[in-house]
Amino acid sequence: MIEQGSIAPLSGIPLLRVESVSKRFGGVNALRGVRLDIRAGEVHALLGENGAGKSTLIKILSGVHVHDGGTIEIDGRPVSFSSPLQSRDAGVAVVYQDLSLVESLSVADNLLLGREPRTRFGFLKRRQLVAQAEAFLKSQNIPLDARAMVGSLPFAYRQMTEIAKALMGDVRLLILDEPTSALTDDEEKILFEAIRAVAARGVGVIYVTHRLNEVFRISNRVTVFRDGQNAGTFVTAQTNMRQLVGAIVGPDHAVLKSDAVATQPDPTSSAASAGKPVLELKAVSNDRLDAATLELRGGEIHGLAGLIGSGRTEILQTIFGLRPIRSGEASLDGVSLRDIDPAEAIAQGIALVPEDRHLQGLVLDHSIERNLTLPRLPDFSRLGWLQRGPASEQAKTAMRRLAVKAPGASTLVRNLSGGNQQKVVFGKWNEPRPRVLLLDEPTVGVDVGAREEIYGVIRAAAAAGSGVLLVSSDLSELIQLCDRVSIVVDGRITRTIERQDLGSAEGLHHLIQISQPSEEHAA
Amino acid sequence: MTETQNPAKAAIAQPGGRPALLTLLQGERPYMLYLAFAVMLVVFSLASPWFLSIDNFLNIGRQTTLVSIIAVGMTFVIISRQIDLSVASTLALSGMSASLAMAFVANSWVVGALAGLGTGALIGLINGLLTTRLEIPSFLVTLGTLSGARGLALMVTNTKPVIITNETYFAIFGEGSVLGIPAPILWTLGVTVAGILLLHYSVYGRRVYAAGGNPTAALYSGVRIKQVTTLAFVLTGTLAGLASLILSARSHAARPDVVQGMELDVIASVILGGCSLFGGRGFVLGTLLGSLIIGTLNNGLVLLGVSSSLQLVVKGAIIVAAVAFTRR
Repeated sequence: MIEQGSIAPLSGIPLLRVESVSKRFGGVNALRGVRLDIRAGEVHALLGENGAGKSTLIKILSGVHVHDGGTIEIDGRPVSFSSPLQSRDAGVAVVYQDLSLVESLSVADNLLLGREPRTRFGFLKRRQLVAQAEAFLKSQNIPLDARAMVGSLPFAYRQMTEIAKALMGDVRLLILDEPTSALTDDEEKILFEAIRAVAARGVGVIYVTHRLNEVFRISNRVTVFRDGQNAGTFVTAQTNMRQLVGAIVGPDHAVLKSDAVATQPDPTSSAASAGKPVLELKAVSNDRLDAATLELRGGEIHGLAGLIGSGRTEILQTIFGLRPIRSGEASLDGVSLRDIDPAEAIAQGIALVPEDRHLQGLVLDHSIERNLTLPRLPDFSRLGWLQRGPASEQAKTAMRRLAVKAPGASTLVRNLSGGNQQKVVFGKWNEPRPRVLLLDEPTVGVDVGAREEIYGVIRAAAAAGSGVLLVSSDLSELIQLCDRVSIVVDGRITRTIERQDLGSAEGLHHLIQISQPSEEHAA
Repeated sequence: MTETQNPAKAAIAQPGGRPALLTLLQGERPYMLYLAFAVMLVVFSLASPWFLSIDNFLNIGRQTTLVSIIAVGMTFVIISRQIDLSVASTLALSGMSASLAMAFVANSWVVGALAGLGTGALIGLINGLLTTRLEIPSFLVTLGTLSGARGLALMVTNTKPVIITNETYFAIFGEGSVLGIPAPILWTLGVTVAGILLLHYSVYGRRVYAAGGNPTAALYSGVRIKQVTTLAFVLTGTLAGLASLILSARSHAARPDVVQGMELDVIASVILGGCSLFGGRGFVLGTLLGSLIIGTLNNGLVLLGVSSSLQLVVKGAIIVAAVAFTRR
């Protein structure tokens, strides 16, 4: 059924060759002539910050987008995919982060979903289905029980099922998009073995990740993208973490230089250094936090850095009353935040700009005005009746102040661009000024111009005395904005760095990496 | 990013976005709804000489009262992304409770009204609490209370009706009239106006829309979704209680086996009126129109002499067709 057949020899033509590939989205150059070659049988790690162009290239390879310029060759033959099906037919398989499995079915059912062996009358041949799946898993050296229910499997095995499913058919190139972000160390080991087994059969593997540790454990070579261009390709055994970090963040990033830092608001004049603590967490624990301790001063922009899943978001959620506190003490201006819900948090002056604006931040089918006024409806009402004048006045003011580009306050939020949608989320908390402003990845999916405007809004909030807690995976953003940065690992705050000691994004990246518990490769 | 600009859609004002009269009249392609109603009126007027008369319209109004009143509450429930299947049973049990209270506690219309409304509110509260606190889907919760409340109603008198003898009660809820408009129609108008005010002009109404439009975003904006949702169920239960007063005042008795299956007409009215079953959209006036369409359909088919079995088939087909036409 599945024939992995003959494989291009390591020395010959590369399995995949990407040459000078470029891609524009509107005015944004997502890719500016990138190169990448993948040999059969290798695991090739692909690194880069958010927006560096990794996911754009993957989407081109998987047929979601079409490249504007350059060439892509598979086995020396130029290809251009206009649909995922074509990409699939050419032997490219992609495993995305969000699993696409039916949890209530078995591994075998999932592998053969849609092409189950059946009798003439359309009945399922169960025994043959399991046998086919088992034979396939065995041929791929994947240690999975074909009869196991996917929903009952640990995460690594689900991920493995996903990989096995991607390998069904004649797969030459397997692309893994951050497959380990939710795995424990043991699970990771199991998964890595499965990936090596796949590569050993002559499949080329592209491995996208944010975790540098993994690069050293799994890959043969590494390619780093920065700002849509190549920042280097390295043989893993001949490089080290410092070199990779340097390639990721870039040697001459303007914001990294200390003189650029000096153009930021003068720290001595800002309220941050002298400000009194507004918000205090003392050894706060719950389902995701482990004795997190943190102090936020009025007028301060305080960054939370760490890997995805480290508990950064959960710290914000706990302060906002979305996660109950099991032990420890959280207080705002000395008043306890234990057992509050979001409504009380808002009443106390806490505001949250959540990570996923579509899911958590906005009601997309409602107007700008409705979204803007939702958190503060009581302020626009008398005895429970809405005061239309003040509400629409407030909405117009917020739209003007944040430069939201829209025909009017009654425009549906769904019809706005990402940057303008995010401004609406900020506008929900603009007036009156919150005591504490919690920001979770506030500039993800926002274009460069709107990003600068949002930075202005954040700085203005701090200048007006709000304490700002900023979660961001964009380290240069943290360095550009923050007075202090705390590093979060497994629901704990492991250290807090003052602005003058922050240094470069490279240094911060390094600090985050060496803070991880299973660190082995510090340079 | 799904930034597909849809001018046609953007041009439609957001229902309730600015609740001027214009927006109240607009829902999801609402003109189709008005058109359907108009076409139906014309067809029935041409087909039956008895259709086009004030008496007949008052008749339609009286016949649709129960559905119209409960459907106002159901609008809140459905906009907040829930469903209430128990309304017909709630009506039956509330009626029993009102008539028994007047028979055994005190023969006063106030006692009857309080008992009927209170019973409805209580069942609504149970529905709401089970749905929000135990996080059981409201479809299942209210399927349970549909059965349970009907069973209780049948049990209390061992399936026998309870006679009501209070003249004031009859006048207020059933037989009285002001300026020639019968009391049930006045109640319908009153409840509709109150529903419009609550849904489109109050803080609570805004929260109902938000809770149904995106529950997570509403939660993150400090909306207490559980309270908002529970209140929508209490509202609907209370209105089912009010409907039971009107029905029992009209028939001078409460029967435990009345209006079985009426929840389907109520839900059909709300959906026909432009509410989305996925929450976040809908308006009270549309619901009233939906209920009038169904009432007029029933009335017209009777006048045309369509057999009652065929009536059900025609009604079902027209409801599905109308919903298909009035949505995207």
